[in-house]
Amino acid sequence: MLDSAILVRRQEPGFARNALCYAGGLAAGLALSVLLLVWAGVPPQAIVNELVVEAFFTADGIAQTTTAAIPLILVGVATVITMRLQFWNIGIEGQLWLGAIAAAWIALGDVGPEATRLPLMLLAAFLAGAAWMALPLLLKLRWGVSEVISTLLLGSVAFLLVQHLLFGVWRDPATGFPISAAFDPAERFAPLGWGQLHAGLWVALAAGLLVWLLLDRTRLGFYAKAIGLNRTAARAAGMPVYRSIALLVLGAGGLCGLAGAVILAGTEHRLNQSVGVGYLFSGIVIAFLARSSPLAAMLIAFVVGGVFTAGGVLKVFYSVSEAVVVLIQGTVLMTVLISHFFSAYRLTRPTWKTAP
Amino acid sequence: MSGFLIGWLAILPSYATPLLLASLGLILCERAGVLNLGPEGLMAVGAMTGAATVLLGADPWVGLAAGIGAAMALSLVFGLAVVVFRADQTLAGLAVVAIGLGVTGAIGRPFVQQTFDGIAGFGTAAGAAGTAERLLAHLNPVVCGALLLVMALWWGLTRSRLGLRLRAVGEDPATADVAGVDVQAVQLAAVLACGALCGLAGAYLSVAASHVWVEGMVAGRGWIAVALVIFARWEPRRALLGAVIFGGADALVPRLQAIGADVPTYLMMMLPYLLTLAVLVGASLVGRAGSAEPERLGRVYLRQDKH
Repeated sequence: MLDSAILVRRQEPGFARNALCYAGGLAAGLALSVLLLVWAGVPPQAIVNELVVEAFFTADGIAQTTTAAIPLILVGVATVITMRLQFWNIGIEGQLWLGAIAAAWIALGDVGPEATRLPLMLLAAFLAGAAWMALPLLLKLRWGVSEVISTLLLGSVAFLLVQHLLFGVWRDPATGFPISAAFDPAERFAPLGWGQLHAGLWVALAAGLLVWLLLDRTRLGFYAKAIGLNRTAARAAGMPVYRSIALLVLGAGGLCGLAGAVILAGTEHRLNQSVGVGYLFSGIVIAFLARSSPLAAMLIAFVVGGVFTAGGVLKVFYSVSEAVVVLIQGTVLMTVLISHFFSAYRLTRPTWKTAP
Repeated sequence: MSGFLIGWLAILPSYATPLLLASLGLILCERAGVLNLGPEGLMAVGAMTGAATVLLGADPWVGLAAGIGAAMALSLVFGLAVVVFRADQTLAGLAVVAIGLGVTGAIGRPFVQQTFDGIAGFGTAAGAAGTAERLLAHLNPVVCGALLLVMALWWGLTRSRLGLRLRAVGEDPATADVAGVDVQAVQLAAVLACGALCGLAGAYLSVAASHVWVEGMVAGRGWIAVALVIFARWEPRRALLGAVIFGGADALVPRLQAIGADVPTYLMMMLPYLLTLAVLVGASLVGRAGSAEPERLGRVYLRQDKH
């Protein structure tokens, strides 16, 4: 249909073209989002005020945005790891839920002395997240089963598990609501004295930097890059393909689990049904927009955090559904995906060899 | 006990039909080699548009058509992105889900929680109704149409020339291309058909099954449909079986609650997902011959990559 002109992959798109296409896609996505928001009944003035000024240029807004960015950094860099390996983790929320369950289990059961309670929660969450990734990883490596479906399925199972616990043993005895009892002070991150901002920020930043070092400065990171580009070639070159994938993918699952613990210990201080919602799209969007760079992912997590902040404000003051956050993410993801075409391919006319 | 069984059988169509319709659409799409993770978003769009159209005064059947149309419009965006612009199918599918959930949440606000007269069943579940009446209560023309569609799709995919072309595109687009099949046209058509069926599935939820729309109504059914296709191994008749099993498991929960049985609701709701996982593991244990997945599912096709 459209192949009468031939589509050719560009071998080296060049920085300027890449940047231009990326910026074009981003701008188109944001413009479309604004149009959709206006269609949904948000006054244009409010969009500018909340999305730009409130979220990024007021002290309260920045505190709120940074707080929202803490778990986003974790899922963002985790997704960067899996994206580098071309391993599709659609179960980000599943690992996050498992991490949250593990952290809540430590906190509610008062496991260990108070001094080590918080580190123990983080460790348990990391391990739980990694464990939830183990089955999809095994299926993928051993039998080549698509990780898209297996991680997706386990994500839904994890959410049902949370509901089972919240409507069962962990239901708040005081109110009967499906939320767990509140955590003790020793099980919370210390506030930094600026809005809701808490010490979990250091955990997220450290994890982000660690991932950056791991991916861009170590041999394992080099293997990851090679495996993502061409697994067969990496294997032929004698790289430990399976071991590298296993280690990194389990680590990514762990980071998603850690995000769950950080949300609980940082802002919610209890387990409820909404702590993990929205992190699948966020993780994917952050890693994709960051072009699989951990440092860029941390920056973009901050921007997405701003969208979360604005979404919360729009919900309260303009009674627009929180779904606008997902809407903006989806629209931008789609337009940047499409814009990638213009830097990755070019059209040529077929050249006909004339018969002698 | 028989009362319980009849109650369960009666509501089964309401639970199984949306799953069936969406998975039939997905089978079409994936048999043509396009991995589509979008049903959750497409169904949300179908459900919201269907309900909104009826609430604005249209006939329920027009509502269904509107739901189909809206989901097809979103599918067209997806189709253009993955077929024409060669975008990554996994990411584009997720973007469709995000857009679908986002749009319905953002603009559906005025229509939330308003009941309306949707498509009625053949029978009635009212107090004095007899067994036959109650069994027919949740059956309607759409359910019958879905059953006919199963056979039509099975026949179309395995016995017709068009079906052969569609499967060829999914298995080996380069060869299909050489044989004169327009790969992109087939894939675009399959994506649109999938959008239509997912839209119908969503509109069925609001216009036919519950006569009301709430945000988050699809509640994971789109993801179950994605899983169901694997359970059904990309075969329409097995999709019917899968829809009855998955929908049946879903329908069991409210019935058991209705008779006051103390059951672990959420553990039971895991069943469809765990079943699908078991099928995934089982299929891989059987080996490569056991994999029914279309060979080029999810891959970008470029004519000059021909081998």
